[in-house]
Order: sequence, then C-alpha cells, then structure tokens
Amino acid sequence: MNNDIPAHVPGGQGEVMAHAVDACVHCGFCLPACPTYALLGDEMDSPRGRIILMKEVLEGGLPLMDAAPHLDRCLGCMGCVTACPSGVPYGELITAFRGWSEPRRTRTPFDRAKRYAILKALPAPKLFSVAARVGQYAKPLAPLLPNALRSPLDLLPEHVPAMQPSPAITPAKGPQRGRVAFLVGCAQQALAPNFNAATLRVLARNGIEVVVPDGQGCCGAAALHTGARDEALTLVRANLNAFDPDDFDAILSNAAGCGAGLKEYPMVLHGEPDEARARAFAAKVMDISEYLNGLLQDGALEPMVPASRPLKVAYHDACHLAHAQGVKAAPRALLRAIPGVTVLEVPEGDLCCGSAGTYNLEQPELATQLGQRKAKHILSTTPDLIASGNIGCHTQIQSHVRRQHSGVPVMHTVEVLDLAYRGEL
Amino acid sequence: MSPEKQALTSTSSAHTPVSEGRSSNALAAALTRALGARKVLSNLSERLNYRYDAIQFGVTPLCVLLPESTADVVAVMRAARAAGVPVVGRGAASGLSGGAAPMVEAVVISFTRMTRLEIRPERREALAQPGVITLKVSEDARPHGLVYPPDPASFRTSTIGGNLGENAGGPMCFKYGVTGDYVKALEFVDADGDVHQLTRDAYDLAGLLIGSEGTLGLITDATLRLSTPAKYTRTLMAHFPEVGQAAEAVSSAIAAGAVPSKLEFMDQACTNAIEDYLHLGLPREAGAVLLVDTDGDDLHTVEEERALVEQACLAAGGQVRRAATDAEAAALWQARRSVSPALGRIRPQRMNEDIVVPRSALPEVVREIRALGDASGLTLVQFGHIGDGNLHPNILFNPRTESAEAVHTLAHEIALVAIRHGGVLSGEHGIGTMKRDFMRDAVDPVTLGALRDVKRALDPTGALNPGKILPDDVAGGLHAHP
Ligand SMILES: Cc1cc2nc3c(=O)[nH]c(=O)nc-3n(C[C@H](O)[C@H](O)[C@H](O)COP(=O)(O)OP(=O)(O)OC[C@H]3O[C@@H](n4cnc5c(N)ncnc54)[C@H](O)[C@@H]3O)c2cc1C
Ligand code: SF4
Ligand code: SF4
Repeated sequence: MNNDIPAHVPGGQGEVMAHAVDACVHCGFCLPACPTYALLGDEMDSPRGRIILMKEVLEGGLPLMDAAPHLDRCLGCMGCVTACPSGVPYGELITAFRGWSEPRRTRTPFDRAKRYAILKALPAPKLFSVAARVGQYAKPLAPLLPNALRSPLDLLPEHVPAMQPSPAITPAKGPQRGRVAFLVGCAQQALAPNFNAATLRVLARNGIEVVVPDGQGCCGAAALHTGARDEALTLVRANLNAFDPDDFDAILSNAAGCGAGLKEYPMVLHGEPDEARARAFAAKVMDISEYLNGLLQDGALEPMVPASRPLKVAYHDACHLAHAQGVKAAPRALLRAIPGVTVLEVPEGDLCCGSAGTYNLEQPELATQLGQRKAKHILSTTPDLIASGNIGCHTQIQSHVRRQHSGVPVMHTVEVLDLAYRGEL
Repeated sequence: MSPEKQALTSTSSAHTPVSEGRSSNALAAALTRALGARKVLSNLSERLNYRYDAIQFGVTPLCVLLPESTADVVAVMRAARAAGVPVVGRGAASGLSGGAAPMVEAVVISFTRMTRLEIRPERREALAQPGVITLKVSEDARPHGLVYPPDPASFRTSTIGGNLGENAGGPMCFKYGVTGDYVKALEFVDADGDVHQLTRDAYDLAGLLIGSEGTLGLITDATLRLSTPAKYTRTLMAHFPEVGQAAEAVSSAIAAGAVPSKLEFMDQACTNAIEDYLHLGLPREAGAVLLVDTDGDDLHTVEEERALVEQACLAAGGQVRRAATDAEAAALWQARRSVSPALGRIRPQRMNEDIVVPRSALPEVVREIRALGDASGLTLVQFGHIGDGNLHPNILFNPRTESAEAVHTLAHEIALVAIRHGGVLSGEHGIGTMKRDFMRDAVDPVTLGALRDVKRALDPTGALNPGKILPDDVAGGLHAHP
C-alpha cells in the first residue's frame, strides 16, 4: 500500500519499514494465522491491522501511544509471514518499528523496571539462574502477587537445576565426520541444562566434534525484538567476533528463538560495515534438527535403538523454527527415524503457544489463554510424549500441560534422540 | 488523507494523551452504554482499521461494532437509524471490489465474533453465523463425511457473511456451483432493525440478499447445504503454444460432454511468475496452461471425462500431462494455488478483474485482452476458472511509478470487452465501488431502474452500504486506493 514513510523516517530503517508496508496488499490472508486475532477477533490485533497502525504512526497520522497497546500484543511469532502470499517482511517491519519507537514512547516506572530486569537477566545465564532460584523460593507467595508477576513464576520448574557449563571441545566418537560450533544459549542453560548435554552427546555419537567458542554470548534476539537496538548490536558484534564461520561446517543452535536471531544478523547490520561478515556468519547457522536431518538424508545418521514400546510423539512447531526459519520437516523426519515412534500432528499447530520471547512477562493474560489453548490441542492427540525445539515453548507447554493435570513428558527433540541412542526410550 | 490525521512530532508523541483519538460521537457513547465497551470501538487507532478491504481504502468509520448475536445487530441498526448514520457490514475484508470499505462516515458492523457453527449431519446442513471462516465449515463437516463445496481461493480467511455478500465462487464452481447454490435459508436484519427469516420458496428474497454486498440487509445466520465428496478424482495439465488455443480446448471439451470439477487456466505471464518463484518445472514457453480435475463416484466415467478433455486439448494443439498419483496431482495444483504470491512479487499492487463471458467467446476474449495489455505498456496477466467463462485479468502495477489512471482505463477497456461479447462485470468478486462506474455500460437503464426500486423497497433511506453497486446516488467522496 502507498505510504510516505521514508519522508518521515529517513535512513535505512525507514527504507526497511517503507518496503514492508509497500508490499502489503491488505488482503487479510494473514489474519487466521495470528494468535491475537484468534483470541480477540478485532482488526487492530491482527497483522494487517498492525501494519496499518505502524504506517499511520510513522506518517504522523496517529499518536504512537494510541497504537502501542495493539503493537505490544504482537508475539513476533511470524505466523503471519508464513501465511502472507505477497511475501511481506513483517518481522523486519515490527523489529525496525520497535527500535524506532522505543525512545519515543512512555512507560510506567513498573514497566520500565520489568523491562530492565528482563533485558539484563536474559542474556546473563548466571544472573538468570540466580533470578530463577529467587523466583523458585517466591513461588509459595504467588497467589498474593499481581498476575504480571505470577505467570512467570508459574513457568519455573519445581526444581531449578544446577548450571552445567558445556566443555570447550567435545570430541567426536569414532571417526570424525564433521566439526561444528555451538551456541550454548542463555536462559536455557539455567532452566534446562540437559538440552545442551543431550545435543553434545548426539552430535559426538554421530562423529561430529563440537566446539563452544569462547567469548560468545546471548544472540541478542530478545533485546532486538523489544526495541533495545543498541544492546542488541553489542551482543551481535560480540558473537561475530567469537565465531569464525570459516573454521566450522556449521554454527548450531538448539533453541529456535536463538537460531532465528542468529539468522537475522545480516538484517540487523544492514547498511553497516559488518554486513558482509554477518552474511558469512548467518550462512553457516543451522538449527540442530536441520543439521542432524542433513546426516539422516545422507544416510549418515547413526541408527537409534528402537523405542521399548510403540510411542506416539506429538510434535509442537516452535514459531521461531517453523515460521521464522522455515524448519518443519527436519525434526519430524528425525523423530520418525526412531524405530517405533509415530509423529502426531497437533490441531491448530501453526498457532503460537503464547510464550514467544518475553511475552509471558509482557502480556500474561493473553499468554495464558494461548498456553491453555495449545495444551488442550496437544493433549487432544493423546500423545505419550511431547517434543519441541525451543526452550520457551518447552516451559510454556510443560506448565500448561501440568495445569491440565496431565503427566505427559515434554522434551526437546534432541533429548528424545539422545534417549533413543541410549536405549532408554 | 482523513481530516482526523494530525501532524505529529517525535517529541510531542510521548505526551499525546490516549483520549485524543477517542471519537466524541454520541452514537458510539450510546452504543457503549447499551452493549458494553467490549463490543464498541471508537478510538481512532481502532476505527482506522475498519476502512479498507483487500482492494480499497474508504472513509474512516464513526464507530465500529463487534456484535456477538443477532440482537446486538438489531440494537446497532436501530441506533444508527435513529441517529441517521449509514451502516456498512464487514466480514474478513478480503473483498476485491471495495464492498466493505465505507464510502461515507458510517457505522461498521464487523461480524468476526459471530462465529457459531453447528453441523447437522442427519440433515446434511450447517448452521453458520456470518463470521464463520469458510474453511471451517468444510473442516467441521469432514468428520461426518460431508463437504461444503464453495471454495474461493480466499477460503482460509473469508467469512460466510462475506461469501454470501459477494456470492463467492471458486475453482469448483463449474460443476458444483457458487455460494448461493448452497443456501437453504437465511436470517437477515433490515435497515429498520427488523429480523427476517428467509427460505428459497415464493419470491426468492434470500437469492436477492445473496450477492447484494450488504446493500439490502445484513445476514445474521445461514443454513448451508452440505454434500458428500466425490470418491475419485483425476487430474491433467495441458499446455498450448497460444492463449486462445487453451480457450478453444475448453469450449470443445465441454461441448463434447465433459463436466470437469475444476478447470483453471493461467497464461504465460502467470506461469512464468510462478516458475520464477517456485521452480516447479512448468513449461515457460507455453502461451497458456490448463489444469483440469474430473471427479465422481464411478471411476470409469471419471476417466472417460478426463479422456474427453485430453482429446480436446490435443485437437486444439496442446500437449497433455496426466497426473499418475495423488502426489503428482497435488504438485500440479500447487502451481495454481501459488498464483497470488507469485504475482505479488512482480509488482506491489494489482487490479483484479473478475469478468465472465460465454464459453464460445473465450478464445476471442482472451486474445483481445492480451492485445489490450500489450498495447497499454502495463503488466497484465490472465488466469481464472475458465470452465464457466470466469476470467481474472490482473493488472500489476507499482503505484509509485505507474499511473492509477492508466490502470483504471485498462480495467474499463477489459470490462467493455466482456460486455461486448455478451459477458458480465463480476463472476464472484462483486461490483462494489470498483466496477460501479461500469454498470451503465453493462445494464440497460430500465433494468437499472428496477434494481433501484428493489433497493428502495428494502432500504428506503439508503442507509445500507451507500455508494456501492448502483451508480448515481453517490454520497461522499471516493478515496484513492492508497
Ligand atoms: C487473494 C484473493 C483471492 C480471492 N479469491 C476469490 C475467489 O476465488 N472467489 C471469490 O469469489 N472471491 C475471491 N476473493 C474475494 C473475497 O475473498 C470474496 O469476495 C469473499 O467472499 C469476501 O469475504 P469477506 O468475509 O472477506 O467479506 P468482506 O470483504 O468483508 O465483505 C464483502 C461484502 O460483503 C458484505 N458483507 C459482509 N458480511 C455481510 C453480512 N453478514 N451480511 C451482508 N453483507 C455482508 C460487505 O459489506 C461487502 O460488501 C479473493 C480475495 C483475495 C484477496
Ligand atoms: S497477508 Fe500479507 S499482504 Fe495480505 S494483509 Fe497480511 S501482510 Fe498484507
Ligand atoms: S507476528 Fe504473530 S502475533 Fe504478531 S502479527 Fe504476526 S501472527 Fe500476529
């Protein structure tokens, strides 16, 4: 649609946003893909509506704070990007918009403090681990707290596990067939250390040497997507320095959100001197499931021990895997490669589980509704096991599955593979 | 630009009180008191989002209502009437003729929360409120072994109310008909706020409401006929050196007695756009591609029909490929389903025509339109449900570099080609505002007068969706497609 954005927001980010708005033909094909539209049924809380709102604000036709509540409700799940027939880069639009609007908006002191805490704790695993422990002890107080504080507490596991630092080098078992770099992630290390341990075991078992380069940090996605562009740039540059793409066959992530973040580096550095480096880096980034599926397709994946009984696995598509990275077939193929496993499709599978990024903290009511809806749909398939490839989805689904009084285990895809290799499935 | 738009500097924005965007409209206030704040939208940020459909931007509404029941609709209608404010109905706003875009300051009633759906397998019918998404009817009917055949390409998004408003069709419509063919009964609210229950006997008032684009009444409930899916389907693709040959093949296949369930065509510009996008291995050099499904419960007949189509294609100079498996058939249909995204990548905007011509005239018509497109210097592609003569010539353009007038002129010329060959302006997308100007070319003055009488009988004050379908009594200005 026509717009005057570059006239009002000159520069690279203005161009990025104008291009996205231009490409939208307001057909509405994205509406059914949007979780907030599914809950609220109004146009302002749909992707098409948000595009219009951003356009109006950027052109000066609408005060930012009038549009903000609707834009803040966007999960950034990218369901709309998958659905859009015109290829509108909605993700680039909202990310650029959040960066542009953050310094121009008002927030209550409470919101400001909360944002600050999130932005500081997420990228710092140790700090996050401490916070999680504090949170764990605060759990009994939960009923007394306002919802905004209660929901994140609900997500914490009963027992916050001890941190398990990953070794700098995990050698391949048997003849070495490959060498990869691994991004260990932040919050995940504190909440689910076994994801990384399982990843290292499965890769080693397949003859892959895994290096955890020193100096790596948070991928920066959380900062970027909440509008903290400067913080994000610092994190991005640190990772570009830590990983030399020429040294590795691939740069792997086992968290869908982080993987998507790493793949976004060229967009973040668009028009800056580091853009070429970012491209070379992003070209090597793969989700763990993409990489292992490559082995599987080449006939090079080590066979797994059959499950001890026929096992129905409901696979949940993490938005940042399915929509942001377009990885849908690989994890399913890997799970199916385990003898005895059937993969179940979840109704409404394309809709976000409600935990995207910091959503549980920012929009607890909607996050809870989406979590309940997701858990209900997953459980309707009567699975023996639930698998997914993202820490955020994992905690959200686990929490809501428990709340619906189900004991079905929730695992990372790679944990399932790891169990199969050990003959414990 | 709407008068409500105001300058905004980055420093003042942070201090702009939220209330500034709130409409001071008394009607909105009264409706909020009566129905509750959840159902009434009056902030500018909210209202701005109910002024467009998939083709056009209109006037920002005075307020927006999100009814949850027929009673809510009645209440809004009564209040709007008392306040002398017009009413525009809206489904998913995926319409391609401007139907849901208000042409004057109005109350928009958006049906997206009226989504009750009940399948009654024993009666082979579905009871649907207008906000039910089209695909949902088929999804819910499937476990009962039933289907809802009307299948507009927008069926994942569009609503039953909008489908009824436009009498939507789709690839299946040649054999299975359009939305209107599946309506057993309707409930609608008229401009006075009175509720009517209609069946298809006596004067077919339901038939009149279907395709009336919200100008005669607002549909609040529909009883839809469901049917059983065909047991067998066979698929073939044919390609032709020249676009007219494809049309000839269609005419002769149907004349020979084939009744394909789907019969779609794409011209060279289309197939090349899809190839650029998906690399499916379509024949780039072909002037046109036909995609055909035959279906039924008797495999022999289904295959015989496919053979008839095949012979007609070969006789017209085409080459034929049969799909051997379901997977191959799905791959062939992927091409057709990708038309929209593929075209979207060529130019940011398109004007989507929706003409229907007699099948015998198809070869002439597609050739004439091709020639008009070539002469115009604009990018023109053609595709459509060619089995029933439904063509979608699309003009692709970039509003920054190409003139909107040239686009409109070409669209008008295309409409005239259709009319000259005994065709009509709209097969499924409706007249709306986009083709309203062409109505005088298409409908004789006496008939136009009769249409106006019908409108007056049901909506004496012209309160329902003013500025649509019928030319002349234009109220308010038309905003250019932004
Ligand atoms: C990419 C694309 C492909 C499409 N393909 C097809 C196709 O193959 N076939 C086809 O037929 N159409 C197609 N369309 C057009 C459009 O999707 C249809 O016209 C559809 O029926 C509109 O439904 P909607 O819910 O979006 O209605 P809207 O656009 O919201 O409204 C359409 C009209 O119906 C009126 N209306 C809405 N609800 C009611 C109600 N409850 N009572 C009375 N009037 C009401 C509105 O006032 C308006 O005039 C396509 C559109 C797009 C963008
Ligand atoms: S589907 Fe794409 S083009 Fe259509 S309204 Fe949504 S973002 Fe715009
Ligand atoms: S990113 Fe997700 S929540 Fe945001 S507009 Fe798109 S579909 Fe809706």
